[in-house]
Amino acid sequence: MADISLQTRPSRPMAEVVIDRIWRFLCSVRAAIAEIAILSLFVLTGTLRGSEVPQWIADLLPFTQPVVDKWYAWDVYRSVPFAVILAVLAIAIAVCTINRVPTIWQTISHPKLTTSRGWLRNADLSATYGTNGDVQSLSDEITGILKQHRYRVLTQKVGEDIHLYADKNRYAKLGTFPFHLALILLLVGGIVGAQYGFRNQEFTVTEGQTRDVGHHTGLSIRLDRFQDLYVPMGVASQYESTIAILKNGKEVKSGAVSVNHPMTYQSATIYQSAFGNSIVLKITDPSGSVVYSDALPMGSFNLKGNPDAPAGLIDLPAVGKQLVVAGPDVAPFNQPELDKLKLQSGELWIEMSDRDPALAASTKTDQVITLGKPATIDGYTITFERERRYSTFQVAYNPGIPIFIIAAVMLLGGLAAIFYFPQRRLRGIVSPAQTGSSLQIAPLAKRDWSAKRDFLRVMEKASEKLGEPEAMKLPSKGSEWQHFTGSSTMAP
Amino acid sequence: MVRFSFYCFAASSLAIWAAAICYILYAVGRVRLAHTTMVTTTGTSVTSTGAQFGPGSLGIGRAGTLMTCFGAFFSGLSILLRAIAAEHVVLSNMYEYSLAFVFACTASYLVFERAYKIRQLGAIVLTVAAGMTFYIWSLPVEMREINPVVPALRAGAIMPFHVGSAVLAYSVLSVSFAGAVFFLVANRWSPRWLPSAEMLDDVSFRAVTIGFPLLSLMLILGSVWAHSAWGTYWSWDPKETAALFAWLVYAIYLHTRTLRGWRGTRSAYILLFGFASLIFTYYGNYFFGGLHAYGGV
Repeated sequence: MADISLQTRPSRPMAEVVIDRIWRFLCSVRAAIAEIAILSLFVLTGTLRGSEVPQWIADLLPFTQPVVDKWYAWDVYRSVPFAVILAVLAIAIAVCTINRVPTIWQTISHPKLTTSRGWLRNADLSATYGTNGDVQSLSDEITGILKQHRYRVLTQKVGEDIHLYADKNRYAKLGTFPFHLALILLLVGGIVGAQYGFRNQEFTVTEGQTRDVGHHTGLSIRLDRFQDLYVPMGVASQYESTIAILKNGKEVKSGAVSVNHPMTYQSATIYQSAFGNSIVLKITDPSGSVVYSDALPMGSFNLKGNPDAPAGLIDLPAVGKQLVVAGPDVAPFNQPELDKLKLQSGELWIEMSDRDPALAASTKTDQVITLGKPATIDGYTITFERERRYSTFQVAYNPGIPIFIIAAVMLLGGLAAIFYFPQRRLRGIVSPAQTGSSLQIAPLAKRDWSAKRDFLRVMEKASEKLGEPEAMKLPSKGSEWQHFTGSSTMAP
Repeated sequence: MVRFSFYCFAASSLAIWAAAICYILYAVGRVRLAHTTMVTTTGTSVTSTGAQFGPGSLGIGRAGTLMTCFGAFFSGLSILLRAIAAEHVVLSNMYEYSLAFVFACTASYLVFERAYKIRQLGAIVLTVAAGMTFYIWSLPVEMREINPVVPALRAGAIMPFHVGSAVLAYSVLSVSFAGAVFFLVANRWSPRWLPSAEMLDDVSFRAVTIGFPLLSLMLILGSVWAHSAWGTYWSWDPKETAALFAWLVYAIYLHTRTLRGWRGTRSAYILLFGFASLIFTYYGNYFFGGLHAYGGV
C-alpha cells in the first residue's frame, strides 16, 4: 500500500494577508477607476449645489424638497466622505505608481526581443519582404530604415533566424509618473497652504485707518485712499486702493492694489476684494467715557425690509449694548414703498438695544441722527463725525503655491510626454529563404489605428529600399486601409 | 469696424449652416430605390422595391469642406476685427466666447479632416458649430457692441490663455464627440461608406489626447489667475468644479481605455457623457452663482 502523506501549504500570517490585500486593492486599476468615478459624483453633487438645478428638481417633484434642502445644506467639499475619497485616491495613485515602475522600466530597458511565427501570422497587419541577400544584410537594412524613423532596434539570433524588436518614444511611458505625482503634489500643496498659511477674507480698512494683519507677521495695513471709476453705463471701470504696509509700525512698502494686481510683502499678499462707504461714529456712555470711536463699514448688511438701505452693526460687549445703523436708501426709485425711513444724505438711523436677546426687544430705542450733531439715545451720546470710503481686502499667505507650480509643470509635462510621443513597437523575424532571405514584420498595435497607420508609413519608406513587399496583410475591417497610400487619398 | 465684424460673423454663420447641411448629406449617403424582379417556376413575376444606401456624393463632401473653410475664415476675421476695434482680446462675454468657439470648432475640425482624410465627422461637428451660431444670434443685441471689460477680467496675458485653452479644449473635444457618435453608428449598423469603427475610435482618442491636456491647462491657468485675483488657487466655485467634473470624466475615459482596454461602445458612451458635461460647464453661467458670474450673459 502506497504511503500517502499530505503536505499542507504553510499559512501566511494574518498581517501579511491583510497588507497584501490592501496593496492589491490600491494597485487595482478597476478600483482606481471606481474611486475617480466616486470623486466625480461628489464633485457633481457639489457643483449642482451651487446652482438652481436641485431647486428645479424640487419644483418639478415636490416630494423631493426635503432631500433638496439637505443637498443645499451639505458642504460637500468639507465633508468627511469627500476627504476620505481624496485620501484613498492619493494613496492609490502613489501605490499604483510605485507598483508600475518595475514593469515599465523592464519594457524600456530589457524588452523581450523574440517573437513567434504564429504571432506574426495572426497579426491583422503585417508585411513580408524578400531579398537576394543573406539574413544579416537584410537585418542590417531594415535596422537602418527603422533607425531613420527614430526607432531603437534590438536583434537576437535564434538558430538561423534573426528576431527583431524595434521601439520608438520608449521613455515617453515615464510621463505617467510626473503626471500622477503632480496630482498628489496638488493635494499636498492644498494641505500645506491650509496648515501653514493663513487667509483673512474680510480684512476691512477705512481710509486713514491702520489695521494689524496678525498671524505673527508684525504687519499692518494703512489705507491711504480708495478710488473707483465708472463708465457712463454705471459699470465700474476700475477700483483701486492706495495702501501702505507697515512692519512693526514702520512703513516698508506702499502702492496701489486692485483686482488682479495684489501686493506682496514678505509672507503676506493683499488682494482687493470689495469696497464701500463707512461712517465714523463716536459713542460716549452716560459718564462721558468713549466706548466706541471707529469707522463702521456700511453695506456689509442691508436693512431688514429694504435691501437698498445699507446697514452696519456695532457690538459693545463692554457696556452690554448693540446698535443697528442704517444709511439712506441708495436706490430711491427702486421699490420706493420699502423706504420707510426716508433718510436724507448726512442722516443715519440708529437703533440701540440690550445685547441680551431676552431683553433686546424691550430695550429697543431708535433715533435719526445728523452729520456733526451729537444725539443722545438711552443716555449714550452718539456723534456722526464724517463719512469715509473703505476697502475690503483678502490678506493671505499660502506656502503651498511653489508646490502647486511644480505640480502644474509636472502635470502638463507628463501629459505631453504620454500623448504627443506615443510609444510604437514592432516585431519581426528575418529568416533564410530559397533565394536569399525574407523579413516578416508586424506592429504591436492591437486595436490601435494610429500605430497601424504609422507602421504602414514606415513600410512605404521601407519599400523604397527593399522593393515592393512580397505580401502585405491589411486589417480586414475598414475601407480606409484599402485606400491607404500615406498621401492625400480621401477615404472612402 | 464692430459692424463689419458682425457682418463677418453673419457670413460665417451662413457658411457653417451650409457646411453642416452638406456634411449631413454626405454622411447619410445616397439612397437609391432598387427594383428586383423574380420569376417563379409557374411564370409569375414578383417585383420588390428596397432602399439601397451608398456613399455620399464626393462633390457634396467637398462643398462641405469649402463652406467650413469659409466659416472658419469669416469667424476668425470677425474675431480679429472685433479685437482691433476693442483694442483687447475679445473673450470677455458669452458673445465673444461663443464666437471664438465657432472659429476654434471649425478650424480644429478641418485639422482632423485633413489628418484622417474623412469628412463624415463634419456632420456632427459642424452641426454643433451651427448650433453655437444660433445661440449667438439669440443673445441680446447689446452684446454685439463692445463694452468696457470689468476690472475682474483685466488680468493681462493670463485671461486670453485661460479662456483660449477652454475654447480650444471644448472644440477639439467636440470632434471626439462626433467620433463617438459615428463609432456607435458604425458599430451598430456597419454602413459601408463609413470609416472603420477602429478608425473612429482612434479619432475620438486622438481628439481627447489633445483636448484633455488643454482642459488641464485651462484648469491650471484658471488656478494661477484665481490666485492673483482671489488669493486662492482653488475656491470650489461651481464653474471651477463643473470643469473639474468634465476633466474627471475624460480622465476616466483615458484610464479605462489605456489601462483596462475599454475600446468601443463603452468608451464611446463615456465620451458622450463627457461632451454633455462640457455643455453643462459651458452654459453653467446661466444657472451657477459664484465667482464666474461676471463671465455670463
